[in-house]
Amino acid sequence: MKKIDLLLLRVFLYGLPIIVLMAIFTHSYDYETAANAGSYVNQLYNFAGFMFGAWMLLAVYLGLRLIFSGTFRKKVLSRITFIKERDEREVMLTGKAAKTTMLTTLAILILLFCLSCLQVSIYSLPPESVADGKNKVISLGLKFDLLRNLPQEASQSDMQKKSILDYVGLPISSSTVILGLIIWQITAYNYSMRRLMK
Amino acid sequence: MTKSTMLLKISNRLHVIRAEHRITQDQLAKEIGVTRATIVAIEGGGYNPSLELAFRLARYFKTDINAIFSIEEDTNEEN
Repeated sequence: MKKIDLLLLRVFLYGLPIIVLMAIFTHSYDYETAANAGSYVNQLYNFAGFMFGAWMLLAVYLGLRLIFSGTFRKKVLSRITFIKERDEREVMLTGKAAKTTMLTTLAILILLFCLSCLQVSIYSLPPESVADGKNKVISLGLKFDLLRNLPQEASQSDMQKKSILDYVGLPISSSTVILGLIIWQITAYNYSMRRLMK
Repeated sequence: MTKSTMLLKISNRLHVIRAEHRITQDQLAKEIGVTRATIVAIEGGGYNPSLELAFRLARYFKTDINAIFSIEEDTNEEN
């Protein structure tokens, strides 16, 4: 592992509280207020922006290093996930716990994929569209988009429908799903490891 | 269809030999280069060590590997 990576990782971690403070500062002053507030506040505002940009670049760089550098990944992620391989038994148990974690994560991903594809809508039709005396409709569908679609404008007939239930994929954001999966991986691995160690 | 399966159960006398040598689990673990939990697991039969670790144990106690580990054969008939 390169020493520079270790140094940059420390800068990234120790810089996090500073970035939070700067984010609070820039949130309380919008750009126009900062520009008119005087040279000191204006310079601080610009410095905060520069620091945040540099920190973002650092985050992307370290993320890529985690993917492509085996030694860096092993050193950093072993600490985050509390992986201990002090002897051959712990290596074997780590493998078993990792397998359990991988399979449960895959199961969760399959469930999330299904939930993101399914669409269920229950709505009541306007009186002029009622057919056969039935005014309530259940609409089922499957949706798979390679790229995120922009929300479409509702058509005239859609606007006349009175929606009762409208489920169109997961209601949580992709960031929440990714963060949830990271937490799940660490938790599942440590839980499996503890059970195996008993 | 009848399938004959030979089950092999590995047992060990590690705790006996360790007691004979008056050495604690912690000391043995340090000498062999493993954790104490591994020695506990081997003695309790919860973990079968690798061939390399088995030879390391035998070499440490200056004995034959068969003096520590033995295999009990058990034929189980499955229908």
